[in-house]
Amino acid sequence: MLLLDYQNVLIESLLKDRFAPGATPTSIDQVVSDFDNVTFHISTPESKTKILVSLAIKCYPELAKYGAEEVLQREYGSLIVQPENGYDFSVQVDLEQLPSSDEEKTELIRKISLLKRNAMAAPFEQAFDEFASLQEQARQYTSESAPQGVREGGTVRAIHYREEEAIYIKASHDRVTVIFSTIFREETDRVYGKVFLQEFVDARKRGVQNAPQVLARDDPPLELQGIPGLKGGKGAEGGVTYVTFVLFPRHLTPQRRAEVISHIQTFRDYFHYHIKASKAYIHSRMRRRTADFLQVLRRARPEAEEKERKTASGRTFTVKS
Amino acid sequence: MSQSLRPYLSCVRSTLTAALSLSNFASQAAERHNVPEIEAASSPELLLNPLTVSRNAEERVLVEPSVNSVRVSIRIKQADEIEHILVHKFTRFLTQRAEAFFILRRKAVPGYDISFLITNLHTEEMLKHKLVDFIIEFMEEVDKEISEMKLFLNARARFVAESFLTPFD
Repeated sequence: MLLLDYQNVLIESLLKDRFAPGATPTSIDQVVSDFDNVTFHISTPESKTKILVSLAIKCYPELAKYGAEEVLQREYGSLIVQPENGYDFSVQVDLEQLPSSDEEKTELIRKISLLKRNAMAAPFEQAFDEFASLQEQARQYTSESAPQGVREGGTVRAIHYREEEAIYIKASHDRVTVIFSTIFREETDRVYGKVFLQEFVDARKRGVQNAPQVLARDDPPLELQGIPGLKGGKGAEGGVTYVTFVLFPRHLTPQRRAEVISHIQTFRDYFHYHIKASKAYIHSRMRRRTADFLQVLRRARPEAEEKERKTASGRTFTVKS
Repeated sequence: MSQSLRPYLSCVRSTLTAALSLSNFASQAAERHNVPEIEAASSPELLLNPLTVSRNAEERVLVEPSVNSVRVSIRIKQADEIEHILVHKFTRFLTQRAEAFFILRRKAVPGYDISFLITNLHTEEMLKHKLVDFIIEFMEEVDKEISEMKLFLNARARFVAESFLTPFD
């Protein structure tokens, strides 16, 4: 498992079990956690055939501001119900009114397990649309005569999706910039993170030429000038790192945008997951090496010579197995 | 083995062999005590001249002999931040298992990464030349292990980064 899945696997398997032909409806009450402090609640509050899936996400007000409601309306349509108390968004599936064909069922399961991805996708979609319109406007001007708004690009969309970390998205007429701010809890994580980020930065030079450009720095990038609540900067404590992805027009075509949005959302979790995985591997390696050293030291201890022991009458001892 | 490592290690080996001539020596300061004199440092006449063997500015070994104990401190090469972290983690890993290592000192001497304390009890119980072998092998292996881990980390980072960016391609 190198890349992370976009959907929530637990929801997927749970629904698959329920949707299977011949499955008897049972009552469910389960809280599912996902990355980025997202919580799902799957329950059957009214009857065993009506499954309610609710989503709680920290930055929902922000997402709603960037058009999350329209995106979710488009994706889930008639499934949407009044949000459950304590959650931000709910959908309900009636097992008695499932689509008949298997493909449609799988599609429905996929759709529901992508709930978090779809909620988070709204600001990306908005930025991509803005990019398209800016690109259209910019065609009419040469680079010198373009009015300020077209040259500078749109506003920065900020999603504070974790306690201290955020995603910033900014559209321009020739690119969309996605900036992740991330925090390293430990010095070790910071150093490993630096190694990893360097490879992300260099990857374009080595073979993945069409990948988005990646930049990493410790102080806020110029795109974020004037945004309140930014940490970091020269000599700042806390280890904030800003990772910038520059998405070029070829990533923003309508055919590819769904895939690109899904994929870039997983960056932060993917990145930290691999830092932790490397730490774990190095730890187990040190453990093995320590055992080797002990082996060498044990050689220093002379073996007690085994003498043949005899009783007074001259008989020898033997070990009974 | 690189050209400059061989003389370095052979120098450490002969220094250690010479220093490890220990005898049982009861404390002069307190009756019925028998402590490693290099740690107690209560009587200056029992301490011998400490000796530093340096390979370069970064790597060196400090051998502090006394009448009944020798303290060997090693400074491991740390060229950059990653190696520093790896050395720190590795030595911490070892010192936490000091009990199993008999001769390992729980805390390194300031300025060094890891220290060993060999007393006359250890030389009586264990073969002296094998103890020296252990320290030499330790020095060889540690360097190798640190650079291998660093290479691994870089290779993994590269692989991870490329795998993430390839779907965009």
